[in-house]
Amino acid sequence: MSGRLDPDPISRRDFLGLAGLWTAGAAILGSLVAMARLPVPRVLPEASTRFRAGSPLAFPAGTTTLLPERQVRIVSTDRGIAAMSLVCTHLGCIVGEAPNGFACPCHGSKFDAQGRVIGGPAPRPLRWLHVSQAADGALVVDTAREVSPDVFFQPMNVG
Amino acid sequence: MSDSGMGAFWANLKALPRTFLGSFVRHGAPTSHRARSQSVFSNVFLHIHATRVHPHSLRLTTTWGLGVSLVAQFLILTVTGILLMVYYNPGLDQAYASMKDIHYVVPAGRLIRNIHRWAAHMMVFCVILHMTRVFYTSAYKAPREFNWVLGMGLFVLTLALSFSGYLLPWDQLAYWAIVIGANIAASPNEVIHAIGLPEAFNIGDIVRRILLGANHVGQDALLRFYLLHVIVLPIAMVFIIAAHIWRIRKDGGLARPGGTPSPAGKGAGSMTPAAQPPSAAPSKTYGLMCLVKGRSPCTGQDPDETVPAWPALLRAELFVFMLNMLICLVLGVFFDAPLREIANPGVPENPAKAPWYFLGLQEMVSYSALIGGVVVPTLAVIGLALIPYLDREAEPAGLWFSGARGKVVTFWSMVVGAILAVLSVAIPVNYGWLRNWFPDIPQLVIIAINPGSLVTLAYMAWSLIVIARTKSTRLGAVALFSCFLVGFVILTYVGTYLRGPNWDFYWRQSDWPIH
Amino acid sequence: MPSASPDSLDRRVKWGLLLASLATVALLIYSVLAECVWPQWRMLRAQYAQILKAKATDDRGRALAEQFEATIQQNVLPALHTVDRCITCHPAVDDPRMAGEKQPFRTHPGDFLRLHQPDTYGCTACHAGQGRATEQAAAHGDVEFWPSPMIPARYAYAGCGSCHTHVLVPSQAVLRRGRDAIARYGCLACHTLDGGGVKLPGVAGAAGPDLSQVGATGYDAGWYEKHVARAANADGGNGPSLRPIGEPARADLSRFLASRVGAPSLVEAKALFHSLGCRGCHKVNGVGGKEGPDLSRVGEKDPGRMDFTHVPGEPTLANWLAEHFRRPAAVVPGSQMPVLGLTEEQIDGLTLYMLSLRHSSIPETYQPKDRIRAERFGEREFATDGETLYSTFCAACHGASGQGMRYPGLPVSPAIASPDFLAVAADAFIAHTVQHGRPGRRMPAWGEKEGGLRPQEIQAIVAYLRSMSGLAAPEPDRQPARWVKGDTTAGNSLFATYCASCHGATGQGAEGPALNNTVLLASASDTYLTETIRRGRRGTVMAGFEKPSTVHPALTPSEIESIVSYIRTWETP
Repeated sequence: MSGRLDPDPISRRDFLGLAGLWTAGAAILGSLVAMARLPVPRVLPEASTRFRAGSPLAFPAGTTTLLPERQVRIVSTDRGIAAMSLVCTHLGCIVGEAPNGFACPCHGSKFDAQGRVIGGPAPRPLRWLHVSQAADGALVVDTAREVSPDVFFQPMNVG
Repeated sequence: MSDSGMGAFWANLKALPRTFLGSFVRHGAPTSHRARSQSVFSNVFLHIHATRVHPHSLRLTTTWGLGVSLVAQFLILTVTGILLMVYYNPGLDQAYASMKDIHYVVPAGRLIRNIHRWAAHMMVFCVILHMTRVFYTSAYKAPREFNWVLGMGLFVLTLALSFSGYLLPWDQLAYWAIVIGANIAASPNEVIHAIGLPEAFNIGDIVRRILLGANHVGQDALLRFYLLHVIVLPIAMVFIIAAHIWRIRKDGGLARPGGTPSPAGKGAGSMTPAAQPPSAAPSKTYGLMCLVKGRSPCTGQDPDETVPAWPALLRAELFVFMLNMLICLVLGVFFDAPLREIANPGVPENPAKAPWYFLGLQEMVSYSALIGGVVVPTLAVIGLALIPYLDREAEPAGLWFSGARGKVVTFWSMVVGAILAVLSVAIPVNYGWLRNWFPDIPQLVIIAINPGSLVTLAYMAWSLIVIARTKSTRLGAVALFSCFLVGFVILTYVGTYLRGPNWDFYWRQSDWPIH
Repeated sequence: MPSASPDSLDRRVKWGLLLASLATVALLIYSVLAECVWPQWRMLRAQYAQILKAKATDDRGRALAEQFEATIQQNVLPALHTVDRCITCHPAVDDPRMAGEKQPFRTHPGDFLRLHQPDTYGCTACHAGQGRATEQAAAHGDVEFWPSPMIPARYAYAGCGSCHTHVLVPSQAVLRRGRDAIARYGCLACHTLDGGGVKLPGVAGAAGPDLSQVGATGYDAGWYEKHVARAANADGGNGPSLRPIGEPARADLSRFLASRVGAPSLVEAKALFHSLGCRGCHKVNGVGGKEGPDLSRVGEKDPGRMDFTHVPGEPTLANWLAEHFRRPAAVVPGSQMPVLGLTEEQIDGLTLYMLSLRHSSIPETYQPKDRIRAERFGEREFATDGETLYSTFCAACHGASGQGMRYPGLPVSPAIASPDFLAVAADAFIAHTVQHGRPGRRMPAWGEKEGGLRPQEIQAIVAYLRSMSGLAAPEPDRQPARWVKGDTTAGNSLFATYCASCHGATGQGAEGPALNNTVLLASASDTYLTETIRRGRRGTVMAGFEKPSTVHPALTPSEIESIVSYIRTWETP
């Protein structure tokens, strides 16, 4: 220990010490990664994005039905059933019905009946949502899954 | 100007990586002892260490790694605690459900909660061991008196943190433990009622109302305990821990006998400012100190006797940290933290037990809430905190039990303490207590004269006898501490394992009646 | 102190660090596997994914198989403060294709999910258990510290009682008559009922609606007239055929149909409860006697807080209840409940009903109509015909046919359907007795507002007693209520000789009923008392004193009147 004040290069051949150090580092890193996983929820404390809209028979062709608590409009045509989201594509307000279609109360976006933007800041049309059928035949709308506006779902085995 | 200004800007931009790194690592790569020592000295996180330490301080038997363990546990508790706060919801309706969610669906939630719970128990356990170690190695003596007091503060804070966390799961165990705890806090009422003072003097009610925000444990209590548990107490803890560690260095590092040639030589263990000949003390030990007038404490750490803190001390600390992490993980992976039914204010747990470290108190509380739950523990904490001021004998620090005489005193004190503690349980269990003998006895007498107060007095008497016989305050302190320690252990054991429904005595849990 | 050189100390620390870190890394890997690979629900979902793939024969099936995710699934029901993750491991509950699979992949039986969709009601609202848990034992509640374990599958209908607390149910006999009427009049030729019912082939247009739930959904009160009208209009064998149904059978039918709420075995169990007279001692939802414990929430009892020392088998609430019905005093030491001598089938039924007494607190929007009607407007959950009322409140003590009962260790209960009694007891006297009870004895005062019966219900019970004995009315009594003026001293000695052995020296009652009871003395007329002594009660130890017997001579009318006068002296203490 004589050269306390001199630059005193340290032997790099301390395998045991380095191994311990690296393993400890790995352990701490591993726990940090595990901990970083924690804030990413595995299940959400809210109702599923997929909801049952009811039997397809409740939506005869040629009708549109507003499901206000789901913020979805079900459009039923001869080609099948589609669901349009009423969440404004600008900043997430709920659009209201207007003479020519829909208008957003927050920043004035305007959409036509098909959800296309006709005014205001909205960057894209209202979203059309994925429609499918549950095992028991009920219509299921998934508000987290978007489809293109010309997709219509044809329910089967109704009855 | 703009030209050279732009040039400087470009040069600075190009040098950015180097200058940034240089400002961050100020002493070059830590490849030499000097660079490492400078890092230890100037880095805010490392400078709580001395740059060089005596090998004795690194020995397992000097400290058993307890202080570092406590820091490690506090770190683990802080990190896991913050993670739990991501999902925990201190609402009456949601608290219990969020515990269930943490257990069943939060990624790594169950493990984190288990670790948090077990680490909390470990911390209480280690803080008691740490205090015991410091006491028996005389490491509380001058100039470390105040650090001992800080340590007592940390001891109380640790218990308070653990206890305040107890309510948060909002299960039966939690609820009834806090009901008991809050009523102990309100126990000064006993005296007020017994001597018939008006209601306005009910200090206990006021204390309870401050603690619970209501007369009963409910939403406000949960929120207050949450606030205490996650903000107030941890912040206080961080500050006192910082001061505690800071003072270790400022008081001359760990107490150790080899470096303290008593009485006149240098060395922190024996040093008292008055007794120290000014010439013997170095006028300057640390660079920072030269800004300050006066002497710095003498560390007795000659360079040739010491090893660099980096790597020896840092590695030892890392080892203790990893060891604690390992123990927490083993407990957390293989043992689930308890969670009972959701709190039901209508149906008490029977027996309703406080957390284990309070069961010794609960044993005494079963005779008098005031004496057992407030007076004895308060006296014990104050008494412990004052030990360094009442025992100022100069002697080699860092020596276990202060040598052979101390070992004898420790042994006999433990025997006496154990006998008295066992008697304090055995007599009331077998023969009843004052109220069984004299049914009309005034409540005040019952409050004052009970096994808890008698045992405390007996311990004090024993300690005074030892002081008189050995003519040593240190041995008197050893006697008192040993008595309290063994009494605490025995009463905790009784409260944990031998008390059943209605706080009746049972040798085995299998004998408990079904309630 | 063993002192080690700095170097060897250093080596030890290095080894320690290495080993501790290695073990930590190993444990971290283990815990990752334990959480992300091994959990049962992950394996089950992987298994179900295979089943889905195998069954994907059409577009919808393929879409379902494709959409299937290996993640925890749940129903979040903020209104019920419930999160049920049961569908994670029971993903097939709404998939009719899985009816043949083994649990946990089987379709939910019946059409319960049509009326109670899992995304509105969840699973634990009916089945109990721990919805948030993701491990089988914990989810089914078979763990410590979960107070409401799952209701066993064989008692599954008990789950209906969580919300449907006030299903209107008559006694078993009434129910049986209704069922007989259904069979007798061939209703099942057109209707289906409780999964049974044959639609006769070849009867065109005859398919009547399903009757299994008409009690809940309601039905046209004028159904009979409409049937008659349609039968009259029908041409030949094409229309519904209908035999005329008499008024009493129609009443039976309507009581039976009112109980068809889609839970036949629960209704059957509750009918049993309403036939054994349990409410005579026990309150349910506020109505019943006070002798025994209130049973309103007995199905929610926490098995973790019950004494199973005398209960063989698993420590479940169902086992405890069943054993308690077999041997009440052995399971609950000191219990006053008599051994009822029930068959195992009856015990099973009663256990089911007890398990159904859950009475969950639920938001108003979830409350069934009958519960609201009962809790707000005081509608009864038992049919209020005399027969049901008698068997619900009286049968336990007075016997199913009013023959009187005698349980070991309890005083005898009088035979109130005895023709001798009914011949001399005026309606007002019986009603008064039911209303005010016998203070100090087991007979409660049913006229009290709290938990009692209403005047018209008491009238119905009196009328039913009359109908049991076949006597339409008591013999006319032209005397005033008090006319006897006998010699009390003579009466005293006569009473001591002939009556005290059964009725007690001071009429306090022993083998026979108490005669010094203030309510009895206030409401019984002198005629009633003299006639009772004169005629006795056939079928009981009380023999008439008009004629001599082996143990006593015949008493003259004046002797009997002396006894009555003596009894009257107790009226004013």
